[in-house]
Amino acid sequence: MRNRASTSLSKGKIRQSWSKYNLYNLQRFRTPATANRTFFQQKWSAKAASRAYHGEQVREGQWKRMFSKRIRSVIPMNTTDLAADDGSKESSGRGSGLSSESSSGRSRSRLIPYTQMAFAPLERRLDVAIFRSLFASSTRQARQFVIHGAVTVNGQKMRHPSYLLNPGDLFQVDPDRVMYATGAPKTAFERRETRQLKQKSDEGEAEGEEAEAKAEATEKDEKEDTRDSLRALMSQAKTIMSTDKDVLPAKRKQELRGFQKAVRRVLSRSDTSTVLTDSLEAQFSELTLLLKAKRAEKKPTKESKKEVKEEAAPAATTKSEEATSGALSDAFQAAAEGGDVDTSELTDEEFDILKRALTQMRDNPIDHSKPYATPWRPRDYMSAFAFIPRYLEVNQNICAAVYLRHPVARPGSAEVPTPFGESISTPAYGWYLKRRW
Amino acid sequence: MAPRIQSRRVSNALLPYLTSSQASSTSSISSTCPSSQLFSRQFSATAAPQTKLRRQMFQWLSTEGAALKHHIPGETNYLSGRADRDGDSNEAPRPFPGNRTFISEAVLSEDLRNEVYVRVVEKKKSLRAVSVELGIDMKRIAAVVRLVEMERRQRAQGKPLALPYARAVHEMIPTTPLAQDGERQTFHEPINDLPAHPSTGAQIFYPVPESRSFTRVDAGRVFSGAPALEKAVADKISHPSDLVDDIIQNPNSIEWVGKGENARQVLQPADVRIPHPQLVKLELDRKAFPNERRAVTQRHAERVEKQEAAEQERRERAHARREKSIQHVEPEGSRFDYRIQDAKFTKETTGADGRAPWAPGRRYGVPAEDRKRGMVKIPTRVEA
Repeated sequence: MRNRASTSLSKGKIRQSWSKYNLYNLQRFRTPATANRTFFQQKWSAKAASRAYHGEQVREGQWKRMFSKRIRSVIPMNTTDLAADDGSKESSGRGSGLSSESSSGRSRSRLIPYTQMAFAPLERRLDVAIFRSLFASSTRQARQFVIHGAVTVNGQKMRHPSYLLNPGDLFQVDPDRVMYATGAPKTAFERRETRQLKQKSDEGEAEGEEAEAKAEATEKDEKEDTRDSLRALMSQAKTIMSTDKDVLPAKRKQELRGFQKAVRRVLSRSDTSTVLTDSLEAQFSELTLLLKAKRAEKKPTKESKKEVKEEAAPAATTKSEEATSGALSDAFQAAAEGGDVDTSELTDEEFDILKRALTQMRDNPIDHSKPYATPWRPRDYMSAFAFIPRYLEVNQNICAAVYLRHPVARPGSAEVPTPFGESISTPAYGWYLKRRW
Repeated sequence: MAPRIQSRRVSNALLPYLTSSQASSTSSISSTCPSSQLFSRQFSATAAPQTKLRRQMFQWLSTEGAALKHHIPGETNYLSGRADRDGDSNEAPRPFPGNRTFISEAVLSEDLRNEVYVRVVEKKKSLRAVSVELGIDMKRIAAVVRLVEMERRQRAQGKPLALPYARAVHEMIPTTPLAQDGERQTFHEPINDLPAHPSTGAQIFYPVPESRSFTRVDAGRVFSGAPALEKAVADKISHPSDLVDDIIQNPNSIEWVGKGENARQVLQPADVRIPHPQLVKLELDRKAFPNERRAVTQRHAERVEKQEAAEQERRERAHARREKSIQHVEPEGSRFDYRIQDAKFTKETTGADGRAPWAPGRRYGVPAEDRKRGMVKIPTRVEA
């Protein structure tokens, strides 16, 4: 299917996409004017705007068949309220409760935005659900993933983007494709590296006897890569260390703390993984083993040192912090060079950070064979579009999600993600009714 | 894509007074004012390579939109305003500035997901119990168990995972954390959602004497068009949740009204239809016996156990019935398990004339339509 869904600036249509053009269009979108326009014209423009976002890849006739005027909604029940009254209080008097008690309902004051759910049937589609689970950067891309066979539903390959998910269906996308779709693109330099890597491997294939040499080379490459990434991690620390001596000590301390926090934040979630390529894995385990051994040796001396430090702490916090992060950077350096690591200077916390830094490096390595920029980082403007609706349960680690139920409306909120307010969705809903308003 | 550079303007150094001084740098071209642009083009007949809209877009992206480019870990970063930027941190995050009714709701954090798995699979707690403890919908708990199971299998097999991606996503969207020791677990979502039944959409004028108490049970009967309960029966029901036990033990005991096509079950009160009806009973007990906490919880646990046993039994019975009609054939040395089920020839399965399109097998005189134009062959379901 040809992609007619351009994100042109002149039309200013909003699409299901994370592109910055779309972000700009979303930002400048204004509700079409209703003054001096017939009701038909109002409905037409509302329909046009909302259909450009909801299922532009679906033909109009197809969508008309899918449309249902019945909208699912739920009311969250409070068990305390249910227990307090069997319904007779609410129906007392003239049928709507006695006036003094009628003001007790909180949820009653919030309306259910029914027409915001007008395009709910489209959320069942496989391509839309993949986009909603943040596995693709646009519905078009999700559609391509399905057609190219990168998606399974309940473990079976599904090649129809229009497959309507049933509640309980589990769909999974190839993690590499997801990383490609959501990751930053390669720079020109990285593309060149990839080409060189490819050439190298081609040569290696041609000459069988050079295989061993090649393996060595790649190993060296990987070592260099790890060294690079470690250096990048430590560069921030170094910049802090190397700034002018004239800077106020309090300011420096703040900066140092900021860096430590940043490192901790970066590393905070990385300690759960166990999967990666063999050589890196081996490298990592070797490093950690080395660190552990060193640590075990030096433990008693280190503890005594710590006590000393604690005594001196209130006097010169700045100094000690500087010293400790200096030790951290040294240890990083040592680890990067693959030589012996002297961990005697490290505190418990820093040891932990170092370990997690190594894990992080293993999880998110520099790998030029990948189609995205490595180490992986989210693409620009992704965060502005990042949300996961409640009718999906997503596991990002394996890029799989379960379609739990159909989207529903509840007092005050609707689950169908739509950028339009009720002034657009209501006329659009009216447009698709059999007996038009 | 970086803004397109007007090659003429960049290369032509002979007219420095016509172009702005920053024109040679790519990044600052978007900030040149439109008036100078117009001025520079007054003798040109070629179409402008950079439209006004593009210029405005890059202008916006470099000023207000710059904050949206990268996220701050642990914070949402939507168009409608960052929490710290606008100062209203306690308001729900809304990704679309034009839609106040759509909220970016929290997802389960990794720890909470693992906790759910541990409680269900390792501690052998029921879905219902874990749902009440953690405030997570039962369907979601089942899905989480399935997904974590799958994740563990993939880790064991050494399949590639998207760990940096997962970390980034969890930094961008709100998450429900697992409570630390001694803290109270924040509930993830409302667990007692009552689906709005289509028959309650009608506006019905139903006169009732003011002296009579009109409860949820009566309202359900009115909505489904059933006659009012007899007084003897109605008097036995002190609270609508009294119906729960019978219906859980035997769902077929719900009364039917109407004939033929119109036959429908009587609409039950909300106390019966919510996912955790036992919690209403618990509240009632708590109110009736405020000083017997332990006995109340004990009774609640018994009721939940009874309900689970009944549900389990029903599942087993259904499974046994299904298995009874299926014959398994496993040829020697084959990796397949053939399940053979006898076709039933009833009016429901083959239609009145025995040649309905959904009837099993090839039927004489009924053409196969699967090659016809417009026949949709996209599967409607995939067996798990």
